[in-house]
Amino acid sequence: MESILEVERLVKKYGSFTALDGISFRIPKGRVIGLLGPNGAGKTTTIQMLLGITTHTSGDIKYFGKDFVKFREISLKRINFASAFNTLQGRITVWENLIIFAMLYGVKNPEKKIKELSNYFEMTELLNQVYWNLSAGQRTRVNIIKSLVNDPDLILMDEPTASLDPDIADKTLSLIEELKKTRDLSILFTSHDMKEVTRICDEVIFLDHGRIVAQDTPIGLTKRIDTADVYITFDGEKELIEKSLQRQNENFTFVTKNIVSIHSQEKNIPKLIFSVNKLNIEITDIEIKKPTLEDVFLQIARRESDAT
Amino acid sequence: MCSYKLLEGSPMQLNTIMAILLQEFYHTRKSLEVFMDLFFYSIMTLIIFGYLSTFLINSANPIIAYSLLSGMILWEIVRVGQYSMSVGALWNVWSRNLSNMFITPLRIREYMLASMLSGTLKSLLIFLLISTAAIFIFNFNIFSVGILNLTLHFINLTCFSWSIGIFILGLIFRFGTRIQALAWGLIYIFQPLVAVFYPLNILPDSIQKIALAFPATYTFEAIRANLVNPRVDWQSFTVALFLNIFYLIFSLWFFNLMFNQSKKSGQFARMEG
Repeated sequence: MESILEVERLVKKYGSFTALDGISFRIPKGRVIGLLGPNGAGKTTTIQMLLGITTHTSGDIKYFGKDFVKFREISLKRINFASAFNTLQGRITVWENLIIFAMLYGVKNPEKKIKELSNYFEMTELLNQVYWNLSAGQRTRVNIIKSLVNDPDLILMDEPTASLDPDIADKTLSLIEELKKTRDLSILFTSHDMKEVTRICDEVIFLDHGRIVAQDTPIGLTKRIDTADVYITFDGEKELIEKSLQRQNENFTFVTKNIVSIHSQEKNIPKLIFSVNKLNIEITDIEIKKPTLEDVFLQIARRESDAT
Repeated sequence: MCSYKLLEGSPMQLNTIMAILLQEFYHTRKSLEVFMDLFFYSIMTLIIFGYLSTFLINSANPIIAYSLLSGMILWEIVRVGQYSMSVGALWNVWSRNLSNMFITPLRIREYMLASMLSGTLKSLLIFLLISTAAIFIFNFNIFSVGILNLTLHFINLTCFSWSIGIFILGLIFRFGTRIQALAWGLIYIFQPLVAVFYPLNILPDSIQKIALAFPATYTFEAIRANLVNPRVDWQSFTVALFLNIFYLIFSLWFFNLMFNQSKKSGQFARMEG
């Protein structure tokens, strides 16, 4: 599959501190890659270097097979960036800001493009508003419009839905999915919302202390945790279940006198339910909570933090 | 690793230069601060110097009065040009938009050229405005020194304003808003040094030697001479021009150094208002 971005042994040092320690990854065409990690893991530094506003100490960045340092302008023309934390020129209107960025990217017929995007993001009414008069959510939408103004092949998105209301956040994610499908758009996506990451990312890279500590599909990553939580709601004597679980050496707690939570190996769950079912009690509900990407994130972050 | 070369690479793109000029236009049109700093300040200074000169004409040598007024009018070329370059960048820093612009295909030399053009246009506009106002309000016609003289003085003072503007831009790109006061203040170090309002020989000998290292000194000496004799002083013009070329090269080198250090330290990406 054609690579849009290739990162090879990327290192960033600030004096004696190593912010990025030789990371390598690639983004194939049409794939959404999530870049996750705790604060200070190196996500922002990586994005800044990929955009050329921070220089790397060593390693290579290639866009569309070409060296980014040598082909900066050609590369930047085909990529863009969106973040909830970046703002545009505050004193001028949304329309004026977007026209300026369209010109910087050399967009043909910028008026038509801006109108199309504004219409999709329900921003048409606000085009003549001064940027500083917009709410945080409206500013984020303008930033996303700006990131699409040059029809990029790759967008680097740093928490693009932060501060958006759920409806617009969902619309943004739907647009990302649609663009990925219809235009084969590639995205490098950072977010603290693991549900978003699970929804739109084809692959996730976990960064910690400047190193890649895990890289897999969201499902592949959750499969790394082989335990799950089983919640059994029952009608009967609590002691019967307690004794049965103790015999099986299960790790459990009673949430209420009628609900028991069991933290068990996934492979043992069928046997566990079968054994409880054999007891002289009525089971009214069984809920199995499988590990999520958030659990994986917490596990990795805590493991790395313990190791240091 | 990826140091940024200011003068290498493919030709400049007109669309990016136009985009920066358009941003300057949109912003200048809407910002009361810019209006006050450029138009209001220049007009008020003209009125003060105009009446001071009127007073001096009636009580002393009229040439001294005209020297003051012509010095003030030409100084605005330096002030406005430098202000436009430095504060124009600061508005983007305050909006947290500067790094946004440099993740587009915009190159630093295109940004620089657009800033220089914008500064020159504003300087020219203010110069024409206050020169015309001086004719109607104070009956002082600076154009009487000759259009060629004024053109040569404008070229040298504009180049000088670029050098200072680029130097301050370098400091802004490197240190952000921590040094923002220099965008307004640094220029005033040069005002007494380059003998804007008085002849160079008023200054102590040691200071005169320093003053002669700056191109603007030759220009202000020349305009005072032009008030008596409109002959073009090609020697002063040439010396000032060569000094300007030297300062421009130095300021571009300094800017390049500051910008690369800022990107290396991560300051440029973190820059905010």
